[in-house]
Amino acid sequence: MDDSTLKVIDTLPKHFMERVREYGDRKVAVRQKEFGIWQEFTWKDSFHQVRDICLGLASLGLQRGDKVSIIGDNDRQHLWADLAILAAGATAVGIFTDAIPSEMEYVAAHSESVLVFAKDQEQVDKFLEIREKIPLVKTVIYWDSHGMWNYNDPWLISYDRVQELGRKLGEEQPELFHNLVAEGKGDDLCLLCYTSGTTGLPKGAMLSHLNFLAGIEATAKVEPRFDTDNQISFAPLAWIAEHTLSVTPHCRFGLIVNFPESPETVQANIREIAPDLIFFPARLWENLCAMVQIRIKDSTWINRMFYKLFLPIGYKVADLQYEGKRVGPLLAFLYWLGDLLVFRPLRDQLGLGRVRTAITAGAALSPDMLRYFRAFGINLGQVFSSTETAAVGTQHFSDDVKYASVGKPVPCCQVKIADDGEIWLGGDNIFHGYFRDRDKTSQSLSIDENGTRWFHTGDAGYMDDDGHLIYLDRLKDMIELANKEQFSPQFIEGRLKFSPYIRDVMAVGNSEVDIVTALISIDFESVGRFAEKNRITYTTFVDLSQKPEVYQLILEAVKGVNETLPPGGRVKKFVLLHKEFDADEAEMTRTRKLRRGFLTDRYSEMISAMYGDVDSVSVSATVRYQDGREGVVETDVRIMTLEETVSA
Amino acid sequence: MAENNGQLIVEDVYLSFGGTLALVDVSFNVHKGEILAIIGPNGAGKTSLLNCINNFYKPDKGSITFNGTNITKLPPYKIAKLGIARTFQNLALYTGLSTVDNLMAARHLHMHQSMWGSMLYWGPAQREEVENRKIVEEIIDFLEIEHIRKATVGALPYGLRKRVELGRALAMEPELLLLDEPMTGMNVEEKEDMARFILDIHELQDTTIVLIEHDMGLVMDISERVVVLDFGRKIAEGSPKEVRNNPNVIQAYLGQEG
Repeated sequence: MDDSTLKVIDTLPKHFMERVREYGDRKVAVRQKEFGIWQEFTWKDSFHQVRDICLGLASLGLQRGDKVSIIGDNDRQHLWADLAILAAGATAVGIFTDAIPSEMEYVAAHSESVLVFAKDQEQVDKFLEIREKIPLVKTVIYWDSHGMWNYNDPWLISYDRVQELGRKLGEEQPELFHNLVAEGKGDDLCLLCYTSGTTGLPKGAMLSHLNFLAGIEATAKVEPRFDTDNQISFAPLAWIAEHTLSVTPHCRFGLIVNFPESPETVQANIREIAPDLIFFPARLWENLCAMVQIRIKDSTWINRMFYKLFLPIGYKVADLQYEGKRVGPLLAFLYWLGDLLVFRPLRDQLGLGRVRTAITAGAALSPDMLRYFRAFGINLGQVFSSTETAAVGTQHFSDDVKYASVGKPVPCCQVKIADDGEIWLGGDNIFHGYFRDRDKTSQSLSIDENGTRWFHTGDAGYMDDDGHLIYLDRLKDMIELANKEQFSPQFIEGRLKFSPYIRDVMAVGNSEVDIVTALISIDFESVGRFAEKNRITYTTFVDLSQKPEVYQLILEAVKGVNETLPPGGRVKKFVLLHKEFDADEAEMTRTRKLRRGFLTDRYSEMISAMYGDVDSVSVSATVRYQDGREGVVETDVRIMTLEETVSA
Repeated sequence: MAENNGQLIVEDVYLSFGGTLALVDVSFNVHKGEILAIIGPNGAGKTSLLNCINNFYKPDKGSITFNGTNITKLPPYKIAKLGIARTFQNLALYTGLSTVDNLMAARHLHMHQSMWGSMLYWGPAQREEVENRKIVEEIIDFLEIEHIRKATVGALPYGLRKRVELGRALAMEPELLLLDEPMTGMNVEEKEDMARFILDIHELQDTTIVLIEHDMGLVMDISERVVVLDFGRKIAEGSPKEVRNNPNVIQAYLGQEG
């Protein structure tokens, strides 16, 4: 399709209707595992669902341009509700499922939502709690009636009931649905996406239908999508990535969207579906890598032997391909053997048996990690984008990967480096500003004389000679020490997290100090296994984290990483934290990015101790438990100093 | 008539082990569709009472009537067939089988194919298997244990095993569900989940539930009536509020003042 067609079929619902006409009941649109079986729904089924819900919303009084919040696990009703909202000409506002009531209140109130979709009792209860504070919300629609049998509140209405209302309206006005879809325009607001916000309150990025369509159209030119593709939808639907990778290509290219049975079965369900494209945030790739390494360690000797034997061959082939060199016949044969014995079974175990393109985004994934997965035949690449760019920006294309870079610009998108080193992204996929926030909009969005929208990413980077974008760090996070040495905390963290024993790290340093230090949170599972193997007794996380043997273990990892760093930017001291970083305590965002300002504040005692002469510090931290209660943990945390290895 | 007084009528039950009196003249009724809690200090005879109801123990004296049928002398499997299912304090699952297989085993009660028919598998036996599997899958969905469907029960953590055991009891589609300490050994979150499941079972299927539980907060929250035992005797019965203010109960739990 060229750009002129995009001007006619310019909204997601219009594309959806194109697919319905194309496939009808001859092709599966959506699959969901229920009662242990993958249940299938054709495009015609999907159409009936979307139409009835859309008209039901209309009969509840939803107007073009209204906002509708939606919260719930990924499932077919969520997708249908999403499409129905868009078909009615309204805007969908996603809320993360683990949001606490005050967060939900902020999003629902700030977005001026008039209706709310809330999956089940859990989410409905949260809305009932904040009901008084969101007076604009007229009705809450739930789609899982489990536990809701005795709720008689007229504020609540079931999904089925909305469909009934819709069917009634459809009988009275049979053309209404098609008219509603036809009235939509490409520049209509499609999605209000509240960014996880590493700083301050969440901001609602306004994305139009054309933002998404321009993005997917351009991406498909380099990484084509087909209607036979299976996509598995498990990343939060409130997050932009799921709209760019599942919802939009579903409507545009007709790929099949598969929903897991429950959040706990995702891993198993991925393996059953074997998707063609997979997107994991950087953290998940890291977890996966740690998992593979642990499982191999626990595996039989023969598995361990093959893994040890063939991984170097995998690395060699990956490196040759990376350098664009030819793989010799002997190596090719060995790799074929390795693929047969190790790599293919491994890919299958991870559910990546059919993956054509694997991508990562969010936090930066270390080059080691990219190389690791590519060594066993997974075409893993980095994507650099953000909510504000409809999750499209630069990307590693299959045959053009550079470990140090974040890829080349996708055709619709331009990259510009501002004078202060900030990366700007421009094009049709760039958002239209933050909802009800002029100040923030003018800080991050500019329009040039050609009418191109530019998003100021706040990231530092540069373009190299091959046209690849090199990402350094957040502009504000590039840090200069007192001795004028520079370092990038993210880089150090990415490298350290390659150790299976380290779950999270924050590297610390500023213009008043001369050395880099690190707060390290151990991976309880892997370190626990290590302790069991070495007969180290421990009780809790706190206890385990302070064992001398564990310090020694982590010390080795830190030393290894230090060797790859310039001497001035090496980690000189570290502590092992008595707890994990926790999103519930606002230490990380919901997508598990560190909130550095908050962490620096919270662990200020520990950090200043590392820059002093002491070798331990006692901490008493307030911990908020999952059920909302608070408790206090008191313990001594040791400070580990690395001996200076003076090279002559 | 029996229906007016209660679905389950326990009348003047005595039980002794050698010289020890475990239950002394215990009488109470369970009404259809209620949640009744039996509480009492350790060794008060709570589990013995449940064991009498499904006849693991034979009461020395007294009678137990369920839906108008005297079940005092019936063997446990016949009592199960009448619609009384239970869970056990210390779990009673096939630890070597998967969750699904444990639940399917509980469906045995509702399967009618002969041994020969089952060995052939095709035809009626297969249809029966599929029908029962559907019911089992609904229970799996209800209790949110999809992720452990194929897991060996013996390898599961305690909280989940308790949930599987509840599933096993539900698979019998009971009219009366006896739960023996369904929440022991669980953390707060697991307990809250379990409480929610119990309330859901009660709401959805109008199942009568008799439960023994030590967590007073939970008992008071979810039960409609409470029976208190102490040294084998019933010392109080009534709504949670009445029981909480009953001087006998306070004394039994806190001991004699002085």
